[in-house]
Amino acid sequence: MTPRPGRGAFGPGQSAATEASLIARAQAGDVAAFEQLSGAYADRLFMLLLRLLGDRGEAEDVAQEVMLRAWQGISRFQGRSSYFTWLYRIAVNEANRALEKRARRPAGVPIGERELQLPTSPADDPLRQAEANELRVALGRAIAELPPPLRVAIVLRDVEGLSTQEAAEIAGIGQAAFKSRLHQARLRVRAAIGDEALVTAGG
Amino acid sequence: MGIGRDDHQWSQRHLSHYVEGDLRVRPRHRLDRHARDCVDCWRGIRAMRALVYAAQGLDGLAGVRAPATIFDRLRPAGASGSPSPRGA
Repeated sequence: MTPRPGRGAFGPGQSAATEASLIARAQAGDVAAFEQLSGAYADRLFMLLLRLLGDRGEAEDVAQEVMLRAWQGISRFQGRSSYFTWLYRIAVNEANRALEKRARRPAGVPIGERELQLPTSPADDPLRQAEANELRVALGRAIAELPPPLRVAIVLRDVEGLSTQEAAEIAGIGQAAFKSRLHQARLRVRAAIGDEALVTAGG
Repeated sequence: MGIGRDDHQWSQRHLSHYVEGDLRVRPRHRLDRHARDCVDCWRGIRAMRALVYAAQGLDGLAGVRAPATIFDRLRPAGASGSPSPRGA
């Protein structure tokens, strides 16, 4: 699978320089620069937290905590990984911390079904649109029910489209261990949804 | 042609590896050969591909935005314009 490009809001040509400048300013104490730097990833980071936590209120709370921790730790960021990877790692750590704290209630799926739907092409026929939407909802539920380490793996690699190397780095484990979790996650999701539903909706 | 039980169980366990491109040449050929004769594994490959494709479709969901309050906790700490010297 080819990782999807383009994660931030920094356009081509200005991305590296702009980001480096914002990092330097943030490290010097410029909170506005930090907000601009991190705000470029805010929507995607929030979506990641929604996927991992399955609860909008909790995702909002954790997102605020992630930004606070990133701000408090920005002086220690040394650029050994990309800023995106560093920020996402904080997010995964905070999500894991929140999941550990959470009482053993089901991983919920309070994410509204409308949020699980993608815009569909007008060329798609209604039956196929309905099947595809059903699959997305079932997939969201199956992912939400995975144990957190497996959920992190499938969300980072398949939903977020990160490379194995980047996803493993964010998850804080080696690539072989990450792959093992990813394969386990996919097998469980496949079992939860069933081949018939996957093949029918997948075409 | 009979379907080897070992091959079947092995193939079922490695469908994700197959789709991911993680199998070397010989294991990949093993799964290819088996799936030619096994409807379940042939469907399993299609299902696994559909799963990965659908998961990719969950990315970039329309209308989901980070809350406007996402930086609110920076205000007390950031009001002075200086991050904590030692971090979190």
